[in-house]
Amino acid sequence: MLETLFALLSFFLLAGSVTILLARDPALYTTGFLAVMLAVAGLFGLLDQSFLFLAQVMVGVGAVVVLTTIVILTINLKEKELPKEPTRGPWLVLGALVIAPFGWMLYRGLVAATPDHFPVLKEGFGTVQAMGSVLFRDWVLPFEILSLLLLAAMLGAIIIGKKEQSYDLES
Amino acid sequence: MSTPAILVTLAVIVLAALLALLMIPVLVWLERRVCGLIQDRLGPNRTNVFGFRLGGVVQSFADVLKLVFKEEYYPGHISRGRWLFIIAPMITFASALLAFMVIPFADDVVVYGEKLRIQALPIDYGILWYLAIGSVGIMGMILGGWLSHNKYSLLGALRGASQLVSYELALGLGVVSMILTYGTIDFNAMVHWQSDMVLGFLPAWGALVQPLAAVIVIVALFVETNRAPFSVAEGESEIVAGYFTEYSAMKFAMYFMGEYIAMNTASAVIITMFFGGYQLPWISTETLREHFGAIAWVLIVVLPVAVALFIRWMKRNNTVRPTVATDGGRNFETKILSRVLIAMTVVIELILLILSFLPADSVGTSFAVTLLQIAVFVAKLMVFNIFFIVVRWTLPRFRYDQVQTLGWRYLLPLSLLNIFVTAIIVVGVAS
Repeated sequence: MLETLFALLSFFLLAGSVTILLARDPALYTTGFLAVMLAVAGLFGLLDQSFLFLAQVMVGVGAVVVLTTIVILTINLKEKELPKEPTRGPWLVLGALVIAPFGWMLYRGLVAATPDHFPVLKEGFGTVQAMGSVLFRDWVLPFEILSLLLLAAMLGAIIIGKKEQSYDLES
Repeated sequence: MSTPAILVTLAVIVLAALLALLMIPVLVWLERRVCGLIQDRLGPNRTNVFGFRLGGVVQSFADVLKLVFKEEYYPGHISRGRWLFIIAPMITFASALLAFMVIPFADDVVVYGEKLRIQALPIDYGILWYLAIGSVGIMGMILGGWLSHNKYSLLGALRGASQLVSYELALGLGVVSMILTYGTIDFNAMVHWQSDMVLGFLPAWGALVQPLAAVIVIVALFVETNRAPFSVAEGESEIVAGYFTEYSAMKFAMYFMGEYIAMNTASAVIITMFFGGYQLPWISTETLREHFGAIAWVLIVVLPVAVALFIRWMKRNNTVRPTVATDGGRNFETKILSRVLIAMTVVIELILLILSFLPADSVGTSFAVTLLQIAVFVAKLMVFNIFFIVVRWTLPRFRYDQVQTLGWRYLLPLSLLNIFVTAIIVVGVAS
């Protein structure tokens, strides 16, 4: 049961990623993006990470995919307006070759190093409550600094957006 | 899991699916009849099967048949990627259906030592699931509007998406203040919290404890369902039908059914968070279990009276005008329906009579309590669905700028204020 679910989710994840890379139809790769985000959320769910699952669906799909789609559809991309990429095939192969050692390292570090003694989960692992107490007890300062970063990004976006109206910072 | 536990789980899943799917024809009928009443006309009431009109519900099934057998039409410019075009309404429909699956219909029951949730998806983070799945539903609307390659559809999708994104903030912050109050994100625990009393005599319903949050969340849920007065995404007077202009037959019906399931889910969430869920006011589950005998006797007395009143109402109103000579089979329908109702009442009375003599801690009593709570839940659900319908046919559609002003300039600051006040009170009570 779990293996089947894992296989299905991984299939959607890989198929979605390949679609994002290869598809030239904007609608198709948006759907691929959606599939990738949902599949990642499902994989988190399989790992008993209910908080990460919810955050992935809420932020990944509800914010990132939706806003990306709105951007894509407002610039109204046509397939014939996309740049010609005659060297795309070689580049893809080259990129895969460059990444291959990292894949091998991941396999060595995560899978081969822990053959069959995965740690047993503690009670309440990955729940919203556990995540909340870790974030707000042990990691309060980094968490708040991160929100400061978001605030700075938002201010930057507002200032860039207002540039058209001769925005004078001095006055 | 033991066999009875598996049976209960399956029954709950079937119940949830039925409550979501079978409610659609009923809601479509209610929408048209209530709309008719508000506009001083009757609404659909002629369609019948062998003379049974059931007040017009049969019309909804006729509509379904018509939509199923309609020609599958695709606009000429959708040559490639037709499956994407079809997937868009499916996303909306599926996410609306999934969001409904976390609503608890009754309190937990203990079956042979196993505690079972009366909830199709037995998870304990219901409200977050609702918010998360609700945001997936937007994608169906955006994709549908975009893939139609049509200016009206694109405008509708953009309007709908921006409206949903801006009200999600107010909705989320309103929900946060409720989470602070209840101290939980589990729907069932929220209902438990609401079975207590405040000020000694009022039921501790969310709407009475947190009236401001209730208003904010209910308004935001209206937006979430895309219904009037927030139906700018499909404003027929300006953009034909918005994002589903190019959709016909069952593809349109998917969007249509998705909207009704979303409305049903929104009513269920409102009930669960603000109006005591499946609980009767002042009566908690423990009280129900202890004194089920007394409650069964009250039901035994009340039920025949209610059925008799209903049959009298039906005899008086389920007729044609006296000037029309032939009655068109309506007397026949009334007669048969009255007999069925009386037979059902007798059976229910007998069952209640047996149940009223069972000991308070028996399995039978706990199942009877569960059934009673499901009935209360469905009754409350219908009340709020009718509320949604009445609002739709009473208020005119807001202009797009009015929608955004209400969301950003009124609801968002109010919900932030509400969080601060709630936090101060919660901390003050705790310390």
